[in-house]
Amino acid sequence: MKKLVSLFLALAMLFTMMSFAAADEPFEITVMVPEFTLDVDYVEEGNPILAKIEELTGVKLKMQFVSNEGYGDIVSTTLTENDPPMLMAVTDARAPSIIDSARAGAFWDLTDFIADAENYPNLAAGPAGVYNNISIDGRIYGIFRSRAFPRAGIYYRLDVAKQAGFDREVKTIDDLTELAEKLAAVSDDTYALNMCSYAAGTISVITVAMGAPNNWGIDENGDIYPAHKSPAYLEGLNWLRHLYEIGGIDPDFIEIPTSEWDNIERNGKAFMRFDCLDNAHRQQEWFENNVEGVTEQLFQSVGPVAKADGSISVWPQNNGFAGEILINKKAVSEEDLPKVVKFLDWCNGPEGQTILNAGLEGVTYWVNEDGYRYVPDDKADEASQNSKMYLHDFNQLGMGVPGNLENPPAVQNRGLTTLRERYANLNIELAPYAVTDPCFPFVSQTAVDRGAELSQIISDAAVQYIAGVISEDELKAAWDEWASKGGDQMTAEYNEAYHAAQ
Amino acid sequence: MTTKAAELRAARGSGREYWRRLWSNIKRDKWLYLLLLPGVIYFIVFKYLPMFGIVIAFENYVPFSGVLGSEWVGLKWFQSFFGYPDWINYLTNTLILSVMNLVFFFPAPIILALMLNEMRSLRYKKLLQTLLYVPHFISIVIVVSITFVMFGSSGIVYKLTAQMLGHPIKYMSSPDTFRWMIIGQTIWKETGWGTIIFLAALTNVDTQLYEAAMVDGAGRLRRLWHITLPAIRSTIVLMLILRMGSMLDTGYDHLILMANSMNRKVSQTLDVFVYQQGIQQGRFSYASAIGLMKSIVSVTLVLFSNKIAHMMGEQGLY
Repeated sequence: MKKLVSLFLALAMLFTMMSFAAADEPFEITVMVPEFTLDVDYVEEGNPILAKIEELTGVKLKMQFVSNEGYGDIVSTTLTENDPPMLMAVTDARAPSIIDSARAGAFWDLTDFIADAENYPNLAAGPAGVYNNISIDGRIYGIFRSRAFPRAGIYYRLDVAKQAGFDREVKTIDDLTELAEKLAAVSDDTYALNMCSYAAGTISVITVAMGAPNNWGIDENGDIYPAHKSPAYLEGLNWLRHLYEIGGIDPDFIEIPTSEWDNIERNGKAFMRFDCLDNAHRQQEWFENNVEGVTEQLFQSVGPVAKADGSISVWPQNNGFAGEILINKKAVSEEDLPKVVKFLDWCNGPEGQTILNAGLEGVTYWVNEDGYRYVPDDKADEASQNSKMYLHDFNQLGMGVPGNLENPPAVQNRGLTTLRERYANLNIELAPYAVTDPCFPFVSQTAVDRGAELSQIISDAAVQYIAGVISEDELKAAWDEWASKGGDQMTAEYNEAYHAAQ
Repeated sequence: MTTKAAELRAARGSGREYWRRLWSNIKRDKWLYLLLLPGVIYFIVFKYLPMFGIVIAFENYVPFSGVLGSEWVGLKWFQSFFGYPDWINYLTNTLILSVMNLVFFFPAPIILALMLNEMRSLRYKKLLQTLLYVPHFISIVIVVSITFVMFGSSGIVYKLTAQMLGHPIKYMSSPDTFRWMIIGQTIWKETGWGTIIFLAALTNVDTQLYEAAMVDGAGRLRRLWHITLPAIRSTIVLMLILRMGSMLDTGYDHLILMANSMNRKVSQTLDVFVYQQGIQQGRFSYASAIGLMKSIVSVTLVLFSNKIAHMMGEQGLY
């Protein structure tokens, strides 16, 4: 009898649970994004951020974090799955496999949703130019992940430069050369410029600053030509080669893995870097948190750098966005699609942006009397731990299509806001000088087929030239090799597409 | 028809007779056949069924459209590969690495096994064997990291040679040293593990032969040369034939970890190229086409070397 009663009760409970679920069933959305926070595991059980998102949108998020190292490999293989995640971040929106899959209909076409300002106001508010950049055959398949533009630049150790006898602002290429030479002379064990196996960014920063185009340029006849054909490109390489010769660059920089890049500055082995400018304040904050007694400004980011003729050009690290979020057709049915797009729209609104980028008040941040986000000193550890466990890499789903709408807005807690503020200001100041790649919106078949191998020829030769392994003649021979193996054809194809679009 | 084949046929019985006998055999040894079953299923599911996937080498395979829905492009990928002048470079790099592997790495486990076999103290031999297996279980990522620490520009080996020679040798970033580093790492990592099969073969050697040879006054080297080596000869040949089958396999993980802008001209092999095209760029058809070509060459090499083994009077693979 007892058994029967308990069985009955269990069944009753099951039914109530089922009916409850049916009445108010949250809509589950699966998401795959790159993972950068590798030291702490993501916690799904009892995650207050997930609960808040579900409360606000009725969406139950199922996050799948994949290490950023090799993320592209995982995207390739995910495309072959029968049960892919509904939303998928793609870091290279122009990868051949993405273009092919989009053309075959693997992703939902979002063009009409983006045009629907009434139902999806945040998505519709995105700049048409960037949407155009990620479009494929005139259709938009993904929501771009907006990034600060131009973002790339130069920063250096302010204190070391002062000690070395350089105590003014870097305003011209000559200033930069003088600074680099003085930093190179600091000691035999240290180097001026921090370079590693990823040299392409460094090379782009200096060659474009010298006046070279970004990947592809337009000559006086209005034709497309490759960046290395510009004399300024060689000037930039010569600048690095000279610095290498005088001991300003680690002779074995090419052996240094990218993961060591930050540590070289932290160990005080090199004092200048051409990279993302936001790294300047990240390094500053690292020193403040990890080195006793650091209170003054150690790093300085450089503003516009003028060439001899007074003109200024800046290499943008991106085209205003870093990859996109795609909706897999295999995972989302046509009737569910508006719900998923609606969720993406919410992610781009003030509420969504704040939660995805900053988390929750009282969990990962607090709000001060001026209405800014901050973390009280006694909560720093708790906030950092919560942020790693619960917020993890949610910001990778953040798109920020209509611009930054975070509310409350961010402010640094340690009072040293200068570099962060300077970064935001520099992006605005440098943006007009940014040199964009004119071929970005076009698709060249040769670039799809052999682009990776061809650009490797150019970048390998550049590195070897900087390190003095090959001569200028051999460098030019490598350029000829590039041209004969498909570079000329690629140029012709881009020219055709470019002229057709004019 | 030769008499041998006729005999075989008679023994097997023809047509129904053959099937009847097979069935009674299965019935009789059902437990043995049951033991065989998992192996057969494994080969069907994981080796035979995936072979149908080769068809994508002749298609412009887009995952969303699937194997059946993708466009048929015939030999496009093969033409594309041979149309790119670097393929010859990839092939030479692959072959040079393989030949170096064969010449320098292949004999290493045999020599080590022979040395272990000559050890007098059994306990010490066992201990040594265990220690020698350890490197095999270290991930190649770690091996490469250790190499960087020792041979990189701040490593002890780098500094020592720089002092001794007066100029540094760029072990990690020079096309001249690249292949030697790869072979060196392979020898360090796999030699101990490779001894297993040879040591197993050595246990089969009849100890009476040694005693007889000793009575006849044969020294250690003579015994090694006339008894031990001939005893494991067929194992060596077998391993060599198997090795021929993977002549074009260089693996990609090891090479990618060691590759950089300075040594790309020698580090780019077929396997690395397949990985870059297939996984990194998601061009599955192109990668499959190259993989298919590699397999054809490998099978040919195995058949060929097996034939040679037969001619030398060895048993070979089959």
